[in-house]
Amino acid sequence: MEINLVAESIKFMVLGMLIVLIFLLLLVEVMKWQAKLINKYFPQKAPTTPTPNISQDEESKRVAAIIAAVAEFRKNQKKQG
Amino acid sequence: MRLKRLILSWLFILAITTGFVYASSTDNHAAPSDATVEEKVYESKTIPQMLVSFYHTTGLEALISPKEGVKTSDGKEMSLFAQSMGRVIMFGVVFLLFYLAIAKQFEPLLLLPIAFGGLLANIPIANMAGDHGMLGIIYNMGIANEFFPLLIFMGVGAMTDFGPLLSNPKTALLGGAAQFGIFGSLVGAAMLSEYTGIFNFTLKQCSAISIIGGADGPTSIFIASALAPELLGAIAVAAYSYMALVPVIQPPIMRALTTKEERRIVMKTTRKVHRLEKLFFPIVVVMMTALFLPDAAPLIGAFALGNFAKESGVVDRLSNEMQNSLINIVTIFLGLGVGSTLASDKFLVVETLGIMIIGLVAFAAGTAAGVIMAKIMNKFSKEPINPLIGAAGVSAVPMAARVVSKVGSEEKPGNVLLMHAMGPNVAGVIGSAVAAGVLLSIFN
Repeated sequence: MEINLVAESIKFMVLGMLIVLIFLLLLVEVMKWQAKLINKYFPQKAPTTPTPNISQDEESKRVAAIIAAVAEFRKNQKKQG
Repeated sequence: MRLKRLILSWLFILAITTGFVYASSTDNHAAPSDATVEEKVYESKTIPQMLVSFYHTTGLEALISPKEGVKTSDGKEMSLFAQSMGRVIMFGVVFLLFYLAIAKQFEPLLLLPIAFGGLLANIPIANMAGDHGMLGIIYNMGIANEFFPLLIFMGVGAMTDFGPLLSNPKTALLGGAAQFGIFGSLVGAAMLSEYTGIFNFTLKQCSAISIIGGADGPTSIFIASALAPELLGAIAVAAYSYMALVPVIQPPIMRALTTKEERRIVMKTTRKVHRLEKLFFPIVVVMMTALFLPDAAPLIGAFALGNFAKESGVVDRLSNEMQNSLINIVTIFLGLGVGSTLASDKFLVVETLGIMIIGLVAFAAGTAAGVIMAKIMNKFSKEPINPLIGAAGVSAVPMAARVVSKVGSEEKPGNVLLMHAMGPNVAGVIGSAVAAGVLLSIFN
């Protein structure tokens, strides 16, 4: 049987656009829903960044001091051993 | 004087050796041939004979005087035109592609290996695109079975950040609307072959061509090799060259369909996306594919795997591999394999012209549909949506989003739409994979 390509392709178009849009609509809903759910049960720890730089500097100074102390301690240990 | 003497002495040597060889060859005739019939017996020849027979093995001879009975890479009879002028024209086409790739920077990563593959595939006699040729081996290894495009998709997934989409989910619809480029041009292709006598596409071929409108190289190659492998070369070349032309094709359409006020709309800054949202997204997409459209599973699965590896944050080595070395290696193979289909007998057909036209229409239609959808959404949405971002719905990541951003900032300096356009842009990748799945499901 001879099929009309145009009629057939219009059917493809209707089906295709319908499926693509439904798929993405569903995806949109799922994305909204998951965003709500995640932000409800695992709230973003907002105040992670706002700690000012000064305290970070102090922190890094403290770390540096600890590292230096440990290194010194190891050196001494080696000398003794 | 010296030159003359040199030539004379050369001729003298030649004469002696020829005579010698000729004498020994007469001896050989007397000897009984023990060799089996299947094996081609080596026959001794004089130097002039050898020169003549060597000439018969040159490409020059094959180009100048094509013979009947030469087979194409897929075992069909090759027309005399395809053997001679066809090849010469293809060399021209290949040089044009080199020019576009190198001087114009048209998707050079793919067009360059594709064009070189085309150059090699058109070498006469060598039959490099045949089953035992280098290009043929590459083609059978990963293009005939649709494997390479999936690996590329995996790498693209590992490079894609869904953050902009997750922060403004409804922009995903724009990526859906722009798929009208695929289905609109499908109808266009069907009309071309139904109402004009020039083109004679089957429905499968129409579908394979229309996927160019998805503006996604790997998807185009995937669908073309599944539905219409005979058109693969032209489809891939059209897809990649039009993708490179996005900055030329899109802006006029975007301007024609929007008013100045609409183009100046400033969108709200995007919210920060939770890490878990990004982590769950690829899983959500795969689950939805599993439930509704298993035919799109190869494409979306590979894409989601790459993205999941990236977002998980614990397999950086794998994700780096996917988005760097692996995708580079596969790009070389993909380019050469596609290039093998640029052999004159496959590319120089009237269908190629139709593919080029339909591809262009597909890009334009996709852009227009995206922009119109964005205009409609802007009417009904509480938050303003700049209609320009609809144009980014035709995948072509990230080129289309950049074009949107450029047009937007031309209208209103300081209005950065890039992040807003990335949402529909990455949704377009999913959209065209879904559209591809629908087309596959129709024919399966």
